[in-house]
Amino acid sequence: MAATRRLQKELADIRKSGIKSFRDIQVDESNILTWQGLIVPENPPYNKGAFRIEVNFPAEYPFKPPKINFKTKIYHPNVDEKGQVCLPIISAENWKPATKTDQVIEALINLVNEPEPEHPLRADLAEDYTKDRKKFMKNAEEFTKKNSEKRPAD
Amino acid sequence: MSSPEDKPGTTSSGETTGATRSNSLGYEEECASGAKPEATSWPSQAEDVDMKRAAAQLIEKYYFQLIDGCGNPHCDNPNCASSGKVGGLSSNEAAGKALQLCASHARLCEAVGAKVPRASQSVTVATSVGTGENSVTGGDPSITPALVQDVIMACALAPSTPLPPLSPLTDGVNNIPGLTEATLSQTIEECQSCNNYAKLRCLLWTVFSNEVALRNSFLQDAKPDVQSSSSSSSCISKDLGTGAQSKEELRAQEGDLDKDLDCAEIVCSGEGAACSCENHENHEKEEKNKKCAKSCVRPVTLDISEVRQAYSSLFACPEAEFGSTLMNAIVQLLSDSLCIQLRAHREAFTAVPNYLNIFIILLESPALNTTDYIEGVMPMMCRTISRLPERDQALLTRHLATWEATRLHRLLESLHQLITIKLLTTEFSRDFTINDEDGITAAAQFMKLLFYASILGGELDNPLLKDIPAEKPEIPPHDDPFFSMSGTGKDWAIRAPPKDSLGKELGIHVLDARIPLVPLSEFYDDFLSDQLEMDRDFAYYKAGSGDKFSFLSYPFILTPATKALGLYYDNRIRMYSERRMSIYQQVIEGTPANPYLKLKIRRDHIVDDALVELEMVALENPGDLKKQLVVEFEGEQGIDEGGVSKEFFQLIVEQIFNPDYAMFSLNNETQTFWFNPNCFESDAQFTLVGIVLGLAIYNNVILDVHFPPVMYKKLCSKPGSFHDLRDWNTTLYRSLVELLEYKGDDMEEVFMQTFRVGYQDVFGTSLTHDLKTDGDNIVVSQGSKHEFVELYADFLLNKMVERQFRAFRRGFNMVTDDSPLANLFRPEELELLVCGSQNYDFMELMKSTEYDGYSNETPIIQAFWELVHEMSTDDKKKLLQFTTGSARVPVGGLAKLKLVIARHGPDCDRLPTAHTVLVCCEKTSDMYNFGTQRRDVLSTPQSKFDHRFGSLFVLRRHLTHRN
Repeated sequence: MAATRRLQKELADIRKSGIKSFRDIQVDESNILTWQGLIVPENPPYNKGAFRIEVNFPAEYPFKPPKINFKTKIYHPNVDEKGQVCLPIISAENWKPATKTDQVIEALINLVNEPEPEHPLRADLAEDYTKDRKKFMKNAEEFTKKNSEKRPAD
Repeated sequence: MSSPEDKPGTTSSGETTGATRSNSLGYEEECASGAKPEATSWPSQAEDVDMKRAAAQLIEKYYFQLIDGCGNPHCDNPNCASSGKVGGLSSNEAAGKALQLCASHARLCEAVGAKVPRASQSVTVATSVGTGENSVTGGDPSITPALVQDVIMACALAPSTPLPPLSPLTDGVNNIPGLTEATLSQTIEECQSCNNYAKLRCLLWTVFSNEVALRNSFLQDAKPDVQSSSSSSSCISKDLGTGAQSKEELRAQEGDLDKDLDCAEIVCSGEGAACSCENHENHEKEEKNKKCAKSCVRPVTLDISEVRQAYSSLFACPEAEFGSTLMNAIVQLLSDSLCIQLRAHREAFTAVPNYLNIFIILLESPALNTTDYIEGVMPMMCRTISRLPERDQALLTRHLATWEATRLHRLLESLHQLITIKLLTTEFSRDFTINDEDGITAAAQFMKLLFYASILGGELDNPLLKDIPAEKPEIPPHDDPFFSMSGTGKDWAIRAPPKDSLGKELGIHVLDARIPLVPLSEFYDDFLSDQLEMDRDFAYYKAGSGDKFSFLSYPFILTPATKALGLYYDNRIRMYSERRMSIYQQVIEGTPANPYLKLKIRRDHIVDDALVELEMVALENPGDLKKQLVVEFEGEQGIDEGGVSKEFFQLIVEQIFNPDYAMFSLNNETQTFWFNPNCFESDAQFTLVGIVLGLAIYNNVILDVHFPPVMYKKLCSKPGSFHDLRDWNTTLYRSLVELLEYKGDDMEEVFMQTFRVGYQDVFGTSLTHDLKTDGDNIVVSQGSKHEFVELYADFLLNKMVERQFRAFRRGFNMVTDDSPLANLFRPEELELLVCGSQNYDFMELMKSTEYDGYSNETPIIQAFWELVHEMSTDDKKKLLQFTTGSARVPVGGLAKLKLVIARHGPDCDRLPTAHTVLVCCEKTSDMYNFGTQRRDVLSTPQSKFDHRFGSLFVLRRHLTHRN
């Protein structure tokens, strides 16, 4: 693996940093290009659960951006039904090879906590979010309770 | 005889007549007028102008020998100043003596011809200009402004004498002072103060109509030399230096022409240790010439900034006062002296030091792009420049390359304008074609300089890559079944295409251009391309001899469409010659004639069949690939007159690029295909794809392929480089640019990138490659980032796909190897040739459509076009696909399609057919159309929603809707 050296370092750094919102990181020893982890948001309505994501690094990493997918269903304007997320920092146009994965994760957590209805992947949710926040919160909370994973104990 | 009254009646210019005054510096004129009677008494050919000129030169030589000497301190010639036996003579006395000596054929020092005039030249420059400047700087109170005026007037006289320009090697009038910016601005000031510009006109005429004066103008370092010493010694040595230099130049440029000239002198005389022109072998010498040009010869001795300054102060004056004078002077200069000199004794003339300055000074003129100049000056300028030896053209090109893009562009526009004017105003006939009009051809030749200047001045491809040997047709490996056979088909010799010597001189190639100063497409001259009789031009091109000009040798000026026509002729000629050969073969060897390349294809096995058949041909007789292609689909009638093979190409391309075949991998971002390095298919498959691509070009068929531009560049023998990544893998390219632009010292920690890179094959497996041995342990740092990027790009574009690409190219070359393709087309044009353009302009198609049985007035035709224009682009593509067999627009736009709409007879239950022409059937304004290829299948218009017949339904729907 070409990117092994860097990815191993990044992985070690993230694990060492003990970040609370992203934990339980699992990486298959044979394939360091795929990471799994648990997003633990702070803000309502998502603070009722945790969300498993998968980070896929391309073979050309860091010259091509990683891709992030939600494995847990989430009711969020910026994540579509398939779990694809629209994160500007890892879009092809904005990607910088010097960007570290912890920055990407941080951006993702921020996005989960603070949806950006201006660039939605699900327009209906974005509309609810801006026009009828109450309804959105109610739906989102229910959805989270029903679909999300358990939050870690600590 | 040398009195002022002897003024020659032939004084040519009205501008200067008022300035005739006698003074001690007027000797030249006196010499010249003195020469006249002497010349007439010359025993033979007294009326011959050249004789007069020679006489005048001889007298000049005597004159300078008397005044300045030969420069040899041990000279024993009693008539040479260097021997000390000549008393101090005044100019007039010396002139008289010179005449006598000439008449008596007295002894002339050997060196006089070469050295003395130059020495004297600098002396005179020193005295005349020096006095002028002294007076300005107030150094010598005894020199009054009036004297300065006199000096100027005297200069003004010089060119108005009947003294014709002299042969340069024995040039005697080198003593005409050049113009300096100081002199000019001083004169301008004077003129402005008295609001009379006569003096300025005078000065301009003097300098600009005289080749010698002009080339001595605005010299670098001229002023300090002149001012510091009135003694000529330093100037002499300097001039000797330039003299020696010029000899080197001469040598360098004449090359093998004059081996007998002893080069020892040259070697020891100059500082040119690097260019010891010991010429043993020609190609060795060529290299040395280049070295000479680069290392020791300082080509431009001109102070460019001074020239520009001078022009700007000059053009700050009201132009009406001097404009026409200046232009007339230049016309005089170009038409009289330069043209003749260049034609008569080019080698000698171009050896004169600083002579290129003339052209540079003229090119710097801000008036160059005005209409007057374009019509008056430009044609001659083009002609003169086109006659320059290539080495000097190269020097001019280098100078032009320093220009700003806008300026270069303006000059280019002027040349286009000139060509247009010439095209419009000249009456061409069968015997006098565009190729004979030297105003146009010279402009094209000049444009070539601009073309190269544009490339040279712009961004070039990484020079690192230049050293990688071009991927010329490789020596075939032994296990290659194709290549060993490929030589057999060439029974007829093809002349090698003319080499591009100017590019060679400059050490650049068109393919090196990445971002030229002026976009290379700006060099197309549409009007010329339209007017040109390509068949004739092509014949001249093929003849290859120098006596006829061919624009195909200047491919940058022709639009791709016109060039494609040239290529078409070439291909057709080849096809016919192959056909003829096969008939000979039949007669002589008794083997059955096969004048065509016939492919029998089953529709459902299109790739397999095509590949097997082509493989057979490539194995048995690759020459057959150059026969005209005829495709037959099994079980279908239909004569291939282009349409069927077009469909064949379309279908096979669709299949080959099918992801299931995995020969090519798609880049999602740019939607382009690249070779799959881990392909299971053998090299033979790629060779065959190459053959298909070559056949498509050869048979004038446009393909729906999507390769990144770098592929075409590679086909043109230029390996891919870093910047080529942009059009193929944009994200990767941008990331690498980020890497390059990262300036921090902590690069190793931030990127943690080693010289091992990863990539993914079509099946999604991650693989790695070490760009260097043990690459995984070498970290990319600030110092090595450029190396990394280059290696990475080289890996992706060249190394990784080397096997596949080589096979592909071999196939391509099998069809196109001896066609002028590579000489005529740049990679981007090649792409256009293969893929066609994307400009769906159906108005153009409508205008160019011809009718048979209808006219453009017929209601149904009008209805037809109305419908077509309403169609979406997709539907239009379908219509094209149906009528022409290809959804692409040919090079040059839809107008090149030659669509014919023909009436199929008055009855009409018959269905309309498309057969490269669209045939319509009139039946209550309903229109059917379908393909000949499948008439049997498609018995009713309703039969199938095949995409090839989509247009039928589109049309019907529209029509139904209307009714």
